[in-house]
Amino acid sequence: MTTKLKATKKSKAKSAKPRSTRAAMSVATSDKETVKARVAAMAEVPLAVCESDKDLQSMLSVLRDQAQPIEVRLAALQSIQAASFSVVAFESCRSDYIATLRKVATDPDLEMRQRVLGILAREKDGFAQRKLLEGLENPEKELVPPEKALQLLSYDIHAEAYPIARKIVNNPPNEEAKREALRLLAADAKSAPVFEKLLRDKNETAEIRQVSAAALQGLKPEKLQESAREILLDDSDYDEIKATSLTALTQFGDKDQVNKDAALKKHVNRISTKGGAKVKRTARQFISKYGR
Amino acid sequence: MNVEVQINNSINPKSQFVSWAPSPCRIRVTNPSGAITPTVTIRLSSTSAATGGAVVFRKGTTGAFSNTLTLTVPIIGTSVPFFVAGKFGRPSSSNADVRIDARFGTLLAGSVKVMVRIRKNANNLTPAERDRLVSAFAQINNQGAGRFADFRDMHTNVTSPQAHGAPGFLPWHRAYLLDLERELQSIDPTVALPYWRFDQASPNIFTLDFFGVSNSVGTVSFSPTNPLQFWRTDGVPGINRRPFFGTNTAPPGLRTEAQTLALGNAYPAFRTLEGNPHGSAHTSFGGFISSIGTAARDPLFFLLHCNVDRLWAKWQRQFGRFDPAVAASFDGAANPIGHNLPDTMWPWNGITTPPRPPTAPGGSLAASPCVSAPGPQPRVSQSLDYQGNVNAVSRLGFDYDDVPFS
Repeated sequence: MTTKLKATKKSKAKSAKPRSTRAAMSVATSDKETVKARVAAMAEVPLAVCESDKDLQSMLSVLRDQAQPIEVRLAALQSIQAASFSVVAFESCRSDYIATLRKVATDPDLEMRQRVLGILAREKDGFAQRKLLEGLENPEKELVPPEKALQLLSYDIHAEAYPIARKIVNNPPNEEAKREALRLLAADAKSAPVFEKLLRDKNETAEIRQVSAAALQGLKPEKLQESAREILLDDSDYDEIKATSLTALTQFGDKDQVNKDAALKKHVNRISTKGGAKVKRTARQFISKYGR
Repeated sequence: MNVEVQINNSINPKSQFVSWAPSPCRIRVTNPSGAITPTVTIRLSSTSAATGGAVVFRKGTTGAFSNTLTLTVPIIGTSVPFFVAGKFGRPSSSNADVRIDARFGTLLAGSVKVMVRIRKNANNLTPAERDRLVSAFAQINNQGAGRFADFRDMHTNVTSPQAHGAPGFLPWHRAYLLDLERELQSIDPTVALPYWRFDQASPNIFTLDFFGVSNSVGTVSFSPTNPLQFWRTDGVPGINRRPFFGTNTAPPGLRTEAQTLALGNAYPAFRTLEGNPHGSAHTSFGGFISSIGTAARDPLFFLLHCNVDRLWAKWQRQFGRFDPAVAASFDGAANPIGHNLPDTMWPWNGITTPPRPPTAPGGSLAASPCVSAPGPQPRVSQSLDYQGNVNAVSRLGFDYDDVPFS
């Protein structure tokens, strides 16, 4: 056997045998190892994090340490977050983890801030909510872009974000922020008229109108059915919103009401052969449910 | 001469679904005209639609399966039992795409159409299968007002000790998936939960027509033709999911299937998959699916866990770990409540006193028109013998496309 072949066989044999969690943890937390090796080792240690306070503290230390390579810190975050799925074992680690996350929420690295604030927001953490609201009120203090802040605030309908969301809808810093503000307001019953108006506004983007349709479907489904009907009968409206309207009626429409609506059915029958591809497809689904 | 063929011992059309594990069936003469002897010979065979499923037969509970089966059936109407199973490797792609024919000589005396309904790799679904799945998901969610809210409420921070960090992790999630799948099947009986093979690239899952495309902040977009655009949980529309990997690749750092199956031949070692690949798959994203309390808000969660369950099924087959009485099949140490073989599983047991959670959403586990197991209040042990390898009545009614019947 040639030397090269022997080396290949040895290398394959070496990689086939998994290393111990202890060995992986040692690599993960060692400044002497390469970034690539450390990131790979981090993926092997989630359960170990819960079993040893020493190991947990080592990982949290890596996470906090801004001198560490960001890839390694993000891998540490991911590994600890994976460990958090073993809830019973992780319970003793949780308070240290949350405390570390709060410290890292103002990290210089945007990706780190986004991920950490995301984890905290999903825990409905008041500290994170305050930071996010502060950033929306005062852009100089923002830790993440406004659209991300709004998205994260939507995890808790009690986060008192409706007033700022309404302001942003009326005066958005960008289109994405407007869309996220609307998604957040979709849990607010008082916002139904806003969605009705946006849905019918042909000057709005397809995405905004689609979010408005979804919001209205949840808040006032009868209003969406009414609007969807009008959109479909309006030959000047766009295919994208017509397709959304047809999907809404097919999936969630009042069956009796739709079945009695001869004008609507006749119109849908017509556009099932004359409309764009998305309209044709959704029209056929409508016809399949309600008949011609 | 007419005969009646019952699949899963029922004439209910909702029972006409089979998987790889054999389904008990029966045949009886309903009109004996043309018969001149007390019994008749009936030959069973099947015809498959193009790209349809295929089935095989056997007379009893053991022995080889064959493409045809000959039975002696009394003309007085007494039923004769036999078994039908999906032919491994030939799942159906649409409802009733396999026809079972019963012939008396050359005369077609009876027939029944069945579907070989199998959990498949979500990346490989046909457009029709994909559309049926998303439609059923949208219906069960019903813009946040539907039955899905119970499934979401079963998987929160408060309830998680019932299902995580202890041996019951795999049995609990198997029951959870089964419950949801049966509810989806009550909407569309052709639907089976597919799996996200997270150690392989699955670009067809993360599309506008299927589970959506994420933007830079992790808001998922859907095509205007996709009913998931109306998905709503916790009062808020939409799905937050930000992949930390390119969705035309697999997430990095996850144990491969081979590595997972090599964790060990006894359950305590195998169940460490809870950390990696399970936990690592969850945290390959930001958004709902990356935190235990919000993970079930994202329907992708169920495809992720379907793959975890498939890995367990594959390991069970590899090492013969279906029998709860075999020590290596489970972790028999004294475990927290809900994680021991004889324990009933929350929420289906309806118990809301400590140490169980204070509420039990969803009621009992959904029944199936095809099988009787596991019953409304399943025990941990009842999740193991999902194919009925040890006891045929334990069969749960699902199978994976790449895990045959033992």
